[in-house]
Amino acid sequence: MTTLTRQDLNFGQVVADILCEFLEVAIHLILYVREVYPSGIFQKRKKYNVPVQMSCHPELNQYIHDTLHCVKPLIEKNDAEKVVVVIMDKEHHPVERFVFEISQPPLLSIRHPRPTPIRIPSDTLLSHVEQLLRAVILKISVCDAVLENNPPGCTFTVLVHTREAATRNMEKVQVIKDFPWIVADEQEVHMQEPRLIPLKTMTSDIVKMQLYVEERAQKAS
Amino acid sequence: MSRDGRRKRDRDDNGWASRGGYMAAKVSKLDEQFKMDAPREKQKDGACSSIFTGVAIYVNGYTDPTADELRRLMMLHGGQFHMYYSRSKTTHIIATNLPNSKIQELRDQKVVRPEWITDSIKAGRLLSYLQYQLYAKQKGLSFPSLLPIPSLNNLIPGLNNPAPSLGKPLSSHHTPTSSHSHLHIDNLLPQPNQYNPLAGHLNPQPSHSLPLPSHLNPQSRHPRQSDSPPEKPFPLDNPNSSNSPVRLNGSHHNAFTPNPSPLETNSLSAIPSNPAPPDSDHQSALAKTGGIISEFYSHSRLHHISTWRSEFSEYVNTLQSRRRATGAATFPGRDRLKRQRREVCLSPDVSVCCSGSSAAPGPQSCILHVDMDCFFVSVGIRHRPDLKGKPVAVTSNRGSGRVAQRPGVDRQLELQYYQRKSSHAGVSERKDGDLEEMTSAESHVSHGNGVDPDTTCLSMAEIASCSYEARQAGVRNGMFFGQAKQLCPSLQSVPYDFQAYKEVALAMYETLASYTHNIEALSCDEALVDGSALLVELGATPEELASAIRTDVRERTGCTASVGMGSNILLARMATRKAKPDGQYLLRSEEVDDFIRDHTVTSLPGVGRSMGAKLASLGVRSCGDLQQVSLQQLQKEFGPRTGQTLFRFCRGLDDRPVRSEKERKSVSAEMNYNIRFTQVDEAELFLTNLSMEVQKRLQGAGLRGRRLTLKVMVRKVGAPVEPSKYGGHGICDSLARSVTLAQSTDSGQLIASEVIKLFHAMRLEVQDLRGVGLQVQLLDGAHSAPHDPSGPKTRSIRDMLLAQRPPAQHNHTGVCVCEKSSSASVPPPFSTLRPPSPADPIPGTSKEEPLPTTRTPNHVRTRLNLSIEVPSPSQVDRSVLDALPAELREQVERSWTHRDTERSHNGSHHRPSSPHPSSLLSSPSSPPPPAALPVGTLVLQIPNQPGQPGSTGIILELPDFSQVHTQTFSLMPIPPLHTHIFHVSVSVCLNPLLQLKQVGAGRVKRRYKKKNANSSPTKKGPSPLKRPHPPGNRPVKVLQHPLRPRDLSNGLKLENGPSTSSLKQDVPETLSKFTPRPEPTLAGACDFTDIRTLLREWVTTISEPMEEDILQVVKYCTDLIEDKDLEKLDLVIKYMKRLMQQSVESVWSMAFDFILDNVQVVVQQTYGSTLKIT
Repeated sequence: MTTLTRQDLNFGQVVADILCEFLEVAIHLILYVREVYPSGIFQKRKKYNVPVQMSCHPELNQYIHDTLHCVKPLIEKNDAEKVVVVIMDKEHHPVERFVFEISQPPLLSIRHPRPTPIRIPSDTLLSHVEQLLRAVILKISVCDAVLENNPPGCTFTVLVHTREAATRNMEKVQVIKDFPWIVADEQEVHMQEPRLIPLKTMTSDIVKMQLYVEERAQKAS
Repeated sequence: MSRDGRRKRDRDDNGWASRGGYMAAKVSKLDEQFKMDAPREKQKDGACSSIFTGVAIYVNGYTDPTADELRRLMMLHGGQFHMYYSRSKTTHIIATNLPNSKIQELRDQKVVRPEWITDSIKAGRLLSYLQYQLYAKQKGLSFPSLLPIPSLNNLIPGLNNPAPSLGKPLSSHHTPTSSHSHLHIDNLLPQPNQYNPLAGHLNPQPSHSLPLPSHLNPQSRHPRQSDSPPEKPFPLDNPNSSNSPVRLNGSHHNAFTPNPSPLETNSLSAIPSNPAPPDSDHQSALAKTGGIISEFYSHSRLHHISTWRSEFSEYVNTLQSRRRATGAATFPGRDRLKRQRREVCLSPDVSVCCSGSSAAPGPQSCILHVDMDCFFVSVGIRHRPDLKGKPVAVTSNRGSGRVAQRPGVDRQLELQYYQRKSSHAGVSERKDGDLEEMTSAESHVSHGNGVDPDTTCLSMAEIASCSYEARQAGVRNGMFFGQAKQLCPSLQSVPYDFQAYKEVALAMYETLASYTHNIEALSCDEALVDGSALLVELGATPEELASAIRTDVRERTGCTASVGMGSNILLARMATRKAKPDGQYLLRSEEVDDFIRDHTVTSLPGVGRSMGAKLASLGVRSCGDLQQVSLQQLQKEFGPRTGQTLFRFCRGLDDRPVRSEKERKSVSAEMNYNIRFTQVDEAELFLTNLSMEVQKRLQGAGLRGRRLTLKVMVRKVGAPVEPSKYGGHGICDSLARSVTLAQSTDSGQLIASEVIKLFHAMRLEVQDLRGVGLQVQLLDGAHSAPHDPSGPKTRSIRDMLLAQRPPAQHNHTGVCVCEKSSSASVPPPFSTLRPPSPADPIPGTSKEEPLPTTRTPNHVRTRLNLSIEVPSPSQVDRSVLDALPAELREQVERSWTHRDTERSHNGSHHRPSSPHPSSLLSSPSSPPPPAALPVGTLVLQIPNQPGQPGSTGIILELPDFSQVHTQTFSLMPIPPLHTHIFHVSVSVCLNPLLQLKQVGAGRVKRRYKKKNANSSPTKKGPSPLKRPHPPGNRPVKVLQHPLRPRDLSNGLKLENGPSTSSLKQDVPETLSKFTPRPEPTLAGACDFTDIRTLLREWVTTISEPMEEDILQVVKYCTDLIEDKDLEKLDLVIKYMKRLMQQSVESVWSMAFDFILDNVQVVVQQTYGSTLKIT
């Protein structure tokens, strides 16, 4: 029986792999559900045993892929606090934000001064995580029910809220050449009168994530 | 051999055996220092003698008196003190407590208790050390019949290397039939493994670090473990926790394991004069290693120098305060200058040039930057004229600059690393040439066969300071001595002389203080003087003042100083560069542009290597280049603050004032020398000790801090395990983590627990740790220290609020912020309701720095424990309300109208709404500190996460909202100017007892009823929300235990009992906030279906909700937000909405509105947006 411990170097990698895979699926699905791109470029696929939509536009896919590739090291180090998919209107003002708030559970308490390795049989752990992720995916696919329609001509971008001094390292190490992180414009971050719609919270042993949408009160403007 | 044993041997191999030249040099240097200090000590302390002539002691571990004191005593009385143990030179080892492994090592040495020294001094002669021996005494007492042994033992210590055969006859003489004799033999045996073959019947196992049950049997015990009783100075109940396997100063103290066998307790109880009182084992362990950290600091030169700065700042502060106290001060220097000028002006021939130049200064400000010329060197040679004009360096190395190479050291690799790093950074023009020198040395080496002994063995002692002559030869400060010696073979080295540095520095500061008190201490050898007022008063030119100061300094200290003058700090500092050495330079405002344009950017303060490299990559090398870069670009590149600073600096603009009184921003302790842990426990213990050191410093400065930063240096992957500098950190990655505490603290324990948590969260290999630092920021005075609730440092809430930077874009009504405190005294109920004090500005208005624009609410991580209420209309600023979302505003207004009708019934209890906000504030000097505020009340706490480099690229230390107080508030009328800023209001203190009582009677409508202290009828039966608690445990009861709720407010956490009756249960939970957050619960329920049942029951069975219960629900909701479970929160809110708005009673829908308002406020704070409720 394989066990994972927090001390393992690759533990963070495992979490990052899982999350990035999930985020890729989720971003594609969000783009489909929120009609950022015409539905024609999407294909139906199966992931986590549920149908999802995935874009088959190579440049878009490459962009998403590259972005997540750069997000991965941050998640590995537990530096990413939030990964945000921002949908912006023509004026580049955000109308919707899909916020994936990620927190990896802390290791120990003062009562247990020694970090007890989290012993989880990886099979059950992974299938449990998969169930949770599936639930999030399903929530995304029905989120249009609780959201207002977006104005036409929307674009999207991905923001990462990092913890502490992670940006400094990010500047130093570019995971992909010519694909650097830049500090988000105030305009892209600030939303007028945001309304928060919680979609899903998942809690597993390795990661805790909640997904909520922030929506601008008046979308058509 | 056991693993431990092998490790020890390994250490011996690369430790003592090969320290070679380095250690030898260090030891001789220390000896020299000792000799130099001795006469000085003797001078200071009249009582001196030479009773210890020929005695050289080495102090091992913690002793009483301390090692420093013993050193002083040895100085006074003719003895010698060795910092490092030397088998051949050290005659006595002083110890009260030795670990097992040490005893093995030192068994043939004279190990003596420190009382020997103190008693000898008392007696005035050298007493025999025999009765002070650490082992012999035990032996003598435990086994008085065995006379030959102590006497034999007394003979042996005279021999430094006893014959190995000695053990044989002895052990055969004492047949090991009982453990008693084991003890003797073992103490006498020089080598344990020689014993083993003889003691064949004994357990041949190596010593264990854990006491095994079998060891309880004296017969089966291994001889080595029977060592433990004699070395143990006091009875320790729990041997495990008393072991402190922290490895400091290069030695790994093995855990010694005293076994609780009857034998040992016997021998221990037989000690008549136990030197140390029986202490709790934990404390003793701390004392031991904590002492080592203190010792490290008392010997670290960098530490000395860095503390001087604060000392001199302190000195300037006292000057200032003294002046304030006396009203006027005497400035002898100023007076002298005045006199001189008068004379000069009287003599006609000079007056012409005088008047000519005096036109220059004008009314503008003039800052003088006084800097001693190569301070350490000039102090070091001020009594050695033979060295003047020669290349001199101050360093710890004495010899030729060569040391033997230690194994496991890969200097090559480190050199390559630094070289690569620097070339990668693209710093082509580097002002300090040392790295380049390194590279040239490196390339020269690489031609050979990889390793050239000549270069690899250069001394790694750093040059602290070198004379200008040496600088001409290419030697630079911070260079390694060996390398410098290659560059400049005639380089002379001068040892450190901290005492002299201090004297000279003090003299310099005194000189400056004789002119003015507007001094800012920058370091021990440089200071800023604001001469504007002085020059106006004297009518003198800056040059005159500067030369007067310089002459004075030279006369008083024998060292030269340079003075740079400019209209601001930046220019003054840059002028100093031109002035040096031994000169002065006035940078006139008209010259500034030309002057600064040619300077390289790295000469600007705050522009270091990395920023220089970054600028170079933008094509910016000189300040002139930098002037071409737009502010926007700079801010984008470096963040708003740094960008702005750069933009101004390169134009010679600097508006920093000379701050003679400085407030400390942080208190820290850091050690990155000799950090080698093997186990997590060691690291934890070290962190604990470091925390204690920080505690010491915090308490020394009378400060408490709220933000902790743990900085660690970790060996870079692939870097050699042993760096080339002995005990150094080598190539490292630096990592830092911070945490903001709920309240400011100076408790080492608290800091330790937080830091250990941080440490574990970093998931590091302890073996790779090379440096650990601990910093406490967000300081405030120890005003709420339990022992001194009304101390002079008391700060009011106003101060706290003023210190806080509210995050932008928050609009709030009804949020009360007040400081959480840990005062031990119950405050008077209405202490803060005092008459308006005109001096109090309105909180939240005076902010000297602009808000960082990128700080959006999303970054505020909020933790809430309780709720918020809507204040009464009279207390709310209309403009704030108007800024709210329409929906929220409506609800607020609705609640007001409702309340107004209700209030008319019990208007007599209503607290009169205050005419002016400041009446609600305690004035700064008023005795009840903010401590008086939330005692025992339900507290809502919002520590945010300061500084989001994620969006700005720089760290802005933003103050936090500490707590939000429910129940009592008033909102300040805030000038419209600031309406876009998060508004904070100050809560009026309300006695917890009153509040608790009121809860029993209270409903929503009675929120503002304050004074019905004696009426607490419980109108309703227990509501469903209170079911888990015993019915008798009503709030009224809590009243009789006024101390309890306060404890709770320290603990800050209402776990599952938001009902006040549960307060008592939570009382001991002061540490509970360190435990991982359990799932939020509502009256014990956490599953959503249970919650639903509970809520349904609550709404359907009770006609009017009680305030207490509503607060409970609100607290649950805020807990959910904090727990990041918005999904559940959403469901709960929606369910409540359905339930409550369907209810026939309008009170319920009002209650829902109230809950929703509060939840929205918290959501707004946490996420910057409000929940969409459909």
